[in-house]
Amino acid sequence: MSQASNPPLSNGVRTSWQVTRSVWYAMFMREAISRTMADRMGWFWMIAEPMAFTLIMVSMRSFISSDRLVVNAEFIPWMITGMMGFFMIREGMMRGLGAVDANSALFAYRQVLPVDPVLVRNALEGLLRTLIFLLFIAGALMLNVDMVPDNALTAMGWWLSLWCLGLGLGLIASVVGTLVPELATVVKMVNMPLLILSGVIFPLNHLPHWLLEYLLYNPIVHGLELLRASFFHGYKVVHGTDATYFWMFTLATIALGLLMHVRFKEKLKAK
Amino acid sequence: MIEIKGLYKRYHRQHRVYDWVLEDVNLTIPAGVSVGLLGRNGAGKSTLLRLIAGMDSPDRGEVRRLCRVSWPIGLSGGFQGSMTGRQNVKFVARVHGGRYKVDDIIQKVQDFAELGDSFDEPIKTYSSGMRARLNFGLSLAFDFDVYLSDEATAVGDRAFKDKATKAFKDKVGKASLIMVSHGEGILKELCQAGIHLKDGRATWYDDITDAIAAYHAETDEARMAYGVVPISPTKQAKTAPAPTAPKAASVALPQPVPTEAAQEKKAVIDLPEDLTLPQARQQLSKIKAEFDAARTAFEQAKADNLPPRERKPYGDALTAARERLHAARRRVQALQPPQDDD
Repeated sequence: MSQASNPPLSNGVRTSWQVTRSVWYAMFMREAISRTMADRMGWFWMIAEPMAFTLIMVSMRSFISSDRLVVNAEFIPWMITGMMGFFMIREGMMRGLGAVDANSALFAYRQVLPVDPVLVRNALEGLLRTLIFLLFIAGALMLNVDMVPDNALTAMGWWLSLWCLGLGLGLIASVVGTLVPELATVVKMVNMPLLILSGVIFPLNHLPHWLLEYLLYNPIVHGLELLRASFFHGYKVVHGTDATYFWMFTLATIALGLLMHVRFKEKLKAK
Repeated sequence: MIEIKGLYKRYHRQHRVYDWVLEDVNLTIPAGVSVGLLGRNGAGKSTLLRLIAGMDSPDRGEVRRLCRVSWPIGLSGGFQGSMTGRQNVKFVARVHGGRYKVDDIIQKVQDFAELGDSFDEPIKTYSSGMRARLNFGLSLAFDFDVYLSDEATAVGDRAFKDKATKAFKDKVGKASLIMVSHGEGILKELCQAGIHLKDGRATWYDDITDAIAAYHAETDEARMAYGVVPISPTKQAKTAPAPTAPKAASVALPQPVPTEAAQEKKAVIDLPEDLTLPQARQQLSKIKAEFDAARTAFEQAKADNLPPRERKPYGDALTAARERLHAARRRVQALQPPQDDD
């Protein structure tokens, strides 16, 4: 990975990997600045948005019922983990959606490919979300809410897996949303129902089996349940949760997304 | 060296396939030779430049770049509007890799573009001249073998044009240039060879003046069809392929106005020199009447909402009549004794 292991070819031409790496570096710096500095209070909203969301949901829940509905997990940490995981996937998808259009001016440089902004944005989003999650855990600990993951290693593993799913969806969304702008609207619309159907706010355990069968086609449910299981020792996941299904789905979306980027490279550039 | 083999390009947009922009283009651009690209609007000059730059891919054929080629330097593209000039320069310097030091590049660009404090303002606030200066300076900061320029010098002021020309002359021997421009002066100054694009085909000329002549022949033909007399008849006479066609075109034209305009223009030169004051005054009033007629005809054409192409002869007639009027008026003023003012 170091410069020494990748010396320039004898005629002074950089290898493809060297070119790609400098593009990623340049784009990462660019995206990092525009993501955090561009709009006023960019940093503030990154933390305030999930915070406000948590507060609203917690107050709603305490009105509706005060029962303990989740086995072996407190409600607030349970919701925060789910919400963080869901936001990770959602942002991966949404950031990918605008990535190609926002960077179309930069395709003037032949080194820059349409897939680069999508990958870079997702990497940046993953880093930022991780940082925010850590801040939330620290904050919760200070408020005496037990948010320490009981199995930190698996928790990190599933957090990364959720990022991978977000990346795969982002890759597909970036191609589809750019070539067919109507579908971009559909993707944005799907977000809200997905929040509820993925079991972020309400536990799915209590739903009838016939309904659950359909809901479990949604890979986000599997991912979130497995993330929670690593956070709370003895947590009872929704019946039918399957790590294999989640990973099959994730790998399939990443592969499909990359293939679409290869196939439609010129069309995306020409837009 | 850049090799272009069997290049075909057309655009597909919104479920429609357009005609070939470039058809079977075969060229070899040798190293160290600067080339001017000529052709009418829409002939495919910018498309060819984009293909050479690797921004776009051909439908058939291939472009082989056997040297370092810049991006097309021009007015559009290459910059992110919401980022400052400095941030954009940084981005491009980083994309081009570790051989270049980002700070050096920024310093060079800053020196060349002379943007002052605007360098730290978002690009979207820039004027077209500032954009061109920045883009030009940015490309010059890298050591390319071939620079591609798409009308990059068109919007600059004289000082900038001189600076750009000098910068390129300094690079002679180290780098060459492929430029699209309608400014023939700068083409002759900077380029040795030329490519003339017409109907999707490209013709290579070893001498830029031959390419310009071919371009003139093509445009003169078109101008005759619009009813405009070519300004440079000597240049037209030089070119071989278009001696008779233009005349036929002007005869076939249904409107008599353009030929009238031509006669009137000639009449300006034919104004008799030795006139007495009353004769000159008489002539002035006659020409004034002609001018008024031309103006009403032009205004009528404008009121009829004729398409610009059909309206043009009237406009030209009006311009010619106005010139004649001014000439006649000057003559009267010259003949008038100074104390005759009233």
